[in-house]
Amino acid sequence: MAQASVKLSSAAHVPRSLHLSLASHAGPVHVVRYAKQSAKHILTGGQDRTIRLWNPETGAEIKSYTGHGYEVLSLCIAPDNARFASSGGDRNVFLWDVATGQTIRRFTGHMGRINAVEFNGDASVLASGSFDATIRLWDLRAQSRAPIQTLDQAKDSISTLHIGSTEIISGSVDGHIRTYDLRKGELRSDFLGHPVTSILPTFDSTTLLASTLDSHLRLMDCVTGQALNTFSGHLNMSYRTRACFAHGEAAVICGDEEGRVWAWDLVNGTSLGADKPPKVHEKVITWTEHHPLHAGEMVTASADGTVKVWKTPPGDKV
Amino acid sequence: MTSRLKKRLDNLGVDPSSAKLTENFCLIGTPLPSLEKSKDSGEFVPVWKQEVRDEQGRRRLHGAFTGGFSAGYYNTVGSKEGWTPSTFISSRTSRAAKGQKGSRPEDYMDDEDLAELRDSQKMIDTTEEMDVLGGTGAEMRRRADGMSLEKDSVASALESLIPTVRDSVGARLLQKMGWRLGSGIGPRVTYTKRKLQDQLYSGSSTSAPPDDEEDAEAGKHLYAPRDTKVILAKPKDNSFGLGYEAGQGLRGAGESSRENAKKGPNISAGFGLGALNDADMDDLDVYDGGLDQGESRRLAYDAGDDDEERIVLGATQARDKSARYPPSTAAAHFFHDGRPVLAGFALSDKPVMEDKWFALPEIPKGWKPNPQSVWAQGQENLEQAKKMPPPPPPRSGPDKWKAGAITADERGAMLGEAKAPAPPRSVFDYLSEKDRERLQNIKAGVSVTEKVEQPTPIEPPQEIIVPTVEPRTAQAALQGFQPFTTDPPKQARYTAYLKSQASSSAPPLAQKPGQSVDEFNKELSDFAKSAMIFKPISGAMANRFTSASIIESGPKAQEGLYKPAPGSYLTTPDETEKEEEKVDESPKAHAARAGMFGPLTRETQDWFPMRLLCKRFGVKDPHPDGPPAPSGGSSSQAPQWDPQSAFSSMPTQSHESAPRTAAIEDTPRPGSASAPSGKKDLANIGLGEDESQGKDTLTYERPTMDIFKAIFASDEEDSDDEEEMPVEVQGQTPYRQPSVPSAPTAPPPIASEVIPRAPSPPLDETPPDPATFRPTFVPRAEREGKRKGKDKESDKKEKKGKSKKMKTVLVSFGDDEMADDLKPKKPKKRSRAADGETERETDKSKKKRPKEDAPEDDEEDMWVEKPPPTIAQPSGSSDQTTLAKGRMRASDFL
Repeated sequence: MAQASVKLSSAAHVPRSLHLSLASHAGPVHVVRYAKQSAKHILTGGQDRTIRLWNPETGAEIKSYTGHGYEVLSLCIAPDNARFASSGGDRNVFLWDVATGQTIRRFTGHMGRINAVEFNGDASVLASGSFDATIRLWDLRAQSRAPIQTLDQAKDSISTLHIGSTEIISGSVDGHIRTYDLRKGELRSDFLGHPVTSILPTFDSTTLLASTLDSHLRLMDCVTGQALNTFSGHLNMSYRTRACFAHGEAAVICGDEEGRVWAWDLVNGTSLGADKPPKVHEKVITWTEHHPLHAGEMVTASADGTVKVWKTPPGDKV
Repeated sequence: MTSRLKKRLDNLGVDPSSAKLTENFCLIGTPLPSLEKSKDSGEFVPVWKQEVRDEQGRRRLHGAFTGGFSAGYYNTVGSKEGWTPSTFISSRTSRAAKGQKGSRPEDYMDDEDLAELRDSQKMIDTTEEMDVLGGTGAEMRRRADGMSLEKDSVASALESLIPTVRDSVGARLLQKMGWRLGSGIGPRVTYTKRKLQDQLYSGSSTSAPPDDEEDAEAGKHLYAPRDTKVILAKPKDNSFGLGYEAGQGLRGAGESSRENAKKGPNISAGFGLGALNDADMDDLDVYDGGLDQGESRRLAYDAGDDDEERIVLGATQARDKSARYPPSTAAAHFFHDGRPVLAGFALSDKPVMEDKWFALPEIPKGWKPNPQSVWAQGQENLEQAKKMPPPPPPRSGPDKWKAGAITADERGAMLGEAKAPAPPRSVFDYLSEKDRERLQNIKAGVSVTEKVEQPTPIEPPQEIIVPTVEPRTAQAALQGFQPFTTDPPKQARYTAYLKSQASSSAPPLAQKPGQSVDEFNKELSDFAKSAMIFKPISGAMANRFTSASIIESGPKAQEGLYKPAPGSYLTTPDETEKEEEKVDESPKAHAARAGMFGPLTRETQDWFPMRLLCKRFGVKDPHPDGPPAPSGGSSSQAPQWDPQSAFSSMPTQSHESAPRTAAIEDTPRPGSASAPSGKKDLANIGLGEDESQGKDTLTYERPTMDIFKAIFASDEEDSDDEEEMPVEVQGQTPYRQPSVPSAPTAPPPIASEVIPRAPSPPLDETPPDPATFRPTFVPRAEREGKRKGKDKESDKKEKKGKSKKMKTVLVSFGDDEMADDLKPKKPKKRSRAADGETERETDKSKKKRPKEDAPEDDEEDMWVEKPPPTIAQPSGSSDQTTLAKGRMRASDFL
């Protein structure tokens, strides 16, 4: 009974009803991010080399940031919402001013397309992980053109990054999650055996949700490196699909390559809802992101060129 | 003009001086151009005096004596700066005007280029003579001349409106030769000929009967020939192909062309045809046919030829009929299969395209396809070939491939040519027959032993002769070298033979099926010989050699189809490789595959964030004791020289309070998992493989002083020590504590610098206690040598000297002079104390300190030295302050 109630409550946390579909990207959308703070807006970046700013409530496209010469593969919004960073196929990290739509800086140095960019807590350092198997840490305070440091321990393309308060976590195609602990001055490499496509730590930074290209999501213990839970059932063999936590980290949400949005209970790892979730996108879902504050809001981006905003029906509010 | 004529003109009232009257109508010859009008000024100048000048009058051609290279740019670019082509500039901000966008080539041309271009663009060389319409300057001039004459303005105005028709030069020439407009060109013809011409041109063959009276008169004159009719080529105003004629079907076209073909090909005019050459397809004039009246048309290609070759098989009989014979009008409304024709359409009675139809050959009744007969025919051919005289013996070697063809030599011999010089002989030609054969065998991959042992052919006995081998020998040979390992069946037979020879009970070797008697004999004798060769002694020796099968270096090809061994399907080479890979797979990967994440899949290693990064993250530098490896601030996983970690692993005296021995034991740093045991750092570099090498000397602990004393010291000294020790224990603490506050003049900046290494404030200034001080004889040379030796070791001594110098400057004591003698002892002790020796250790060894310390200094000769004068301190307790002031010990700075 208790389990059932847990299931119900966590199922209720996963927004399943379509609120809006934003379809002005011409081509696959690679990334969608919520703004920081109250998260009233979303930014999307796609294959069409544009970054678009939307209001997910109304579906209004507020602004379009053009400047990339190649596809946009990752975005990161600064904590103050004044700037954001983007990267993609043009091997440069772009730092944008949200209001003016101009690039403030461009960081050059990577030798391949850049799969991930991430700010640190106060947006003084920008990390970029690239296909050239390096992570470069750029100084946003100083005007130096060279990165502060280059982390080249990875053997293959860096696919995802996360910066915590005192650590930098990277997921690489060589199957490793590398945690660079600044405080201890040590590097912990956890081998997952399959290319790691997304990592997302929980709020307390003790566990880490990692998705790998063997159609599995794993909840890894940051301290010991053990897999606490495994979520599977979806199909994710060749594309980067970013998974996320539902509100309150009660569930794990991930899209798959058939366009389905899967959700699992975090604790017992059972798939929530139907056996096989309905197909809501035409193509592979590239990114899922839950609203950082509101319980029932989520966005998904897909290679079919649409970004969909999902909400829990009003009656279902928890 | 005669005077009579003048008179008559006067009578008529005509002004004889009028220009019109004096006009001369006779024109004989061509007048010379007037001299003054001639533009050719250099006409009569000899060539060597003529100069070439350009249109601006500049001299452009210079000889070696009239300028040479000094002609400079005048002959090339025309100015000092050179010729600048016009430029085209268009930027995003300031767009070039659209008109200017495409720059013309003329923009980049200079005067000469432009002139050349103009010349080349003039398609027709218009001279004034050839100008028919009279638009040239000459015409203008002529008109102007006319104007100057007395002509009323109205007439000239009217004249200017009408373009004066001037004949071309050709027409004028013809006119001068008697040609008139309307008549033909050529010599005059008789009347009859002209009549003929008239008939020809009019095309009417029926000529009117000539009237004789007219003829009689007309025959007396010659007439200009009739003008040739201008051939009016009809412009092509339709879109049909060349030679197409409307209304003629394809078949008709083909037939007409076939008719043409019968008349013989029309040779194209462009190229001549040799007398012996046949008209080829290329020579035919494909565009011929428009002008010749006799033939209706010609085609560019002969469709008729194609038709004849087209063969259609398999159409139904009915269809054939309908195609060939047009249906009757009654049946015109139905197709041949009975279906009515659509309203408004009529069946064409002429087929558009007729296929050539060839009936199948009549198949004789009872005929059955029998491919065997065809094969038999082939066989017959073969048999015939066999009957033919045998071909010349096949050439050996590289000539083999062209067997049957005549070689160059043979051909030469046939033609009676002189024989070409023989090609250089190859090495093989010099080899003996046997060697060559052996080489061939080796090449064929056959073991030499096998072949070489073949006996020379003896006359084949028809009975089986089993050569006997001694059982002992056979037994030994069985155990010994196996000569036929490369040929397992043979080896098996060999073994069987030997067994049969070794023991009579074993069955004798049987003849192989299909093996002839002499072959079997040969084999047996081979075996016997082999057994003899590999007899016991060689059998014993054979163990020392590997088998001869090594000769076969490459993989041996097996005859026939490849038959994999049963069960080998399951383990293909790939799979075995994979299995090996799995074995090679790191335990990490294995664990990850098994889902055993955790310590097995985790690797931890040191990482050195840049200091700036730590600053940005607000984190203390985890490795503050040194900058990370200089390789771009990244630590790498590969074991490499890492000065930072090496340094940190060294016993650093400043930070580590552990005893030195412990620090040294720590050197390999078991704590750092990433550092492999073989890691090179300062601590173990140069030690080779053995890391513990030399460790014992470093960690060597001196035996306690008691042992030394028991052995060496006299009783007196013993008692001395016992007296001194408690004194020392007492003096230790006060002697240090006050030093901290009461050392303002001591050099702290130096001390801070010097911390890692012990500053050794000389104690020399403390006056030795006269009660206990015992002067000792130390030879001067020895002392000097000691000092020199210390001078050599760089920093320690230097710092010592520095502090000493400071001392002498800042704190001056009266008895500085004594320093020299006493220094060697005291500084040693202090440095020892500062060398990272802990309190614990010093406490432990307090009792024996005076003795122990002295011997522990390597450079010092412990046995010579006296107990240090510090012992005297307690007795002179008043000295403590001065002591504290004067002596700064390393531990004080800590």
